Amino acid sequence: MSDSPVSMHTPGNQPADEASNAADPAQQKQMEQAYAQMKRKMSMAEIGRQIKHKIMVLSGKGGVGKSTVSTGLAVALAQQGHKVGILDIDITGPNVPKMMGLDGRKLHVEGGRIHPAQGHLGVKVISMAFLLEDEDTPVVWRGPIKLGAIQQFIGDVEWGELDYLIIDFPPGTSDEPLTVAQSLPDIDGMVIVTTPQDVALLDSRKSISFASSLKVPVLGVVENMSGYTINGKGTPGSTVEIAAPAGRTLSATCDEDGNFSITLDIFKKGGGQSTAEEFGVPFLGALPFDPGFVRGGDDGVHRIVSEPDGASAIAFAKVVSAVQSQLANGSSSSLEII
Amino acid sequence: MAEEILELRKLERRDTDMELTYEDGTCFVVTYDDLRHACPCAKCSPLRNEDDMSMQLRRTVEAYPKQKPTVQTVGNYALSFEWATGCSSGIYRFERIWDLAHRNDPDRGRPYVHGAW
Repeated sequence: MSDSPVSMHTPGNQPADEASNAADPAQQKQMEQAYAQMKRKMSMAEIGRQIKHKIMVLSGKGGVGKSTVSTGLAVALAQQGHKVGILDIDITGPNVPKMMGLDGRKLHVEGGRIHPAQGHLGVKVISMAFLLEDEDTPVVWRGPIKLGAIQQFIGDVEWGELDYLIIDFPPGTSDEPLTVAQSLPDIDGMVIVTTPQDVALLDSRKSISFASSLKVPVLGVVENMSGYTINGKGTPGSTVEIAAPAGRTLSATCDEDGNFSITLDIFKKGGGQSTAEEFGVPFLGALPFDPGFVRGGDDGVHRIVSEPDGASAIAFAKVVSAVQSQLANGSSSSLEII
Repeated sequence: MAEEILELRKLERRDTDMELTYEDGTCFVVTYDDLRHACPCAKCSPLRNEDDMSMQLRRTVEAYPKQKPTVQTVGNYALSFEWATGCSSGIYRFERIWDLAHRNDPDRGRPYVHGAW
């Protein structure tokens, strides 16, 4: 079904001479596709106006916690009373719906427009996961097909007015971020997520250079899995020793109540900050290695919701605040085309 | 080291050329013929590798009807032009527009090698 004017004409309703000049089915399909593409482009421009801030969340390496940061950003901003949406661009491995407690939901389509699912605090979510028959079905698409799906996710979705749209990407600097950066006008910037180890930092540097080549500002670098804090109890005044990575021994002294706390830098520490400094981009903060993020992701309740006063939520609040500061500093100059 | 380019603030499409105004207020004029001859698409770029083909490309673009193109930004980094002839392939990075405005070689003397840009 199409709302293209092309499809409204049937050969049977046309005069004979007009019918003989009618486009053959292949041409008609091409014209319909061109019409749909044009409509989508116009719609993308309109979406650009309706959404105040558009933030891309990327990383060079997989498994560093992009979706955790994306969903955390979205929920934290929604907690502040903002209207927020998440666009899960990870076509082949979409997991934002599960992390937002929207597993198994179906999207509502009305008037040819896709309406996002709404999660906790009214956060709107669009993801490929909503379109899969079952979660074990792989999406095996080549680049151009993915590109079409992404443009549809941007142009055919009824986001409505939003204060923030968080766009969660698969790892790397390939088709997906390039397509979004070309299709969605006035992107505020990219948040680069990394873990402290060299392999992740190496890939993060590529992401920063990628942003530079697309002239999309880097809002900053977030270092995830920065350190795992062990809290425990012992005899007041006694010293506790723990075997740490790299053959080191960490020690802590129990306080007068017997409490001690030691932070293990499982994946090293400080690499995100040093990378940010090296490239002259802001460091937004470090998030601790917290198994609660894993449980929250599986249960669909983000850590900052389940434990709003915990160390992770506090660290997250600092990151969100830093992102907002960067947005406030951002220049709003735009090109006037006459 | 890359030359620092200023931010393009205004693009005024005129009948046969466009006037570009940069953030420091300086204005430049780039003709549509120059713009189309410098098209960075994979079809036009190889034609500038050799002088005779480049001149042929120049004659071709000069023969096109002079009409204002539709101009759109491509993300934050480039402009695309849709011409009345239906061509809209070239994505012109702002650096390229800057080079054209300053009468620099937009290809920076590098021959086009397919897949290398």
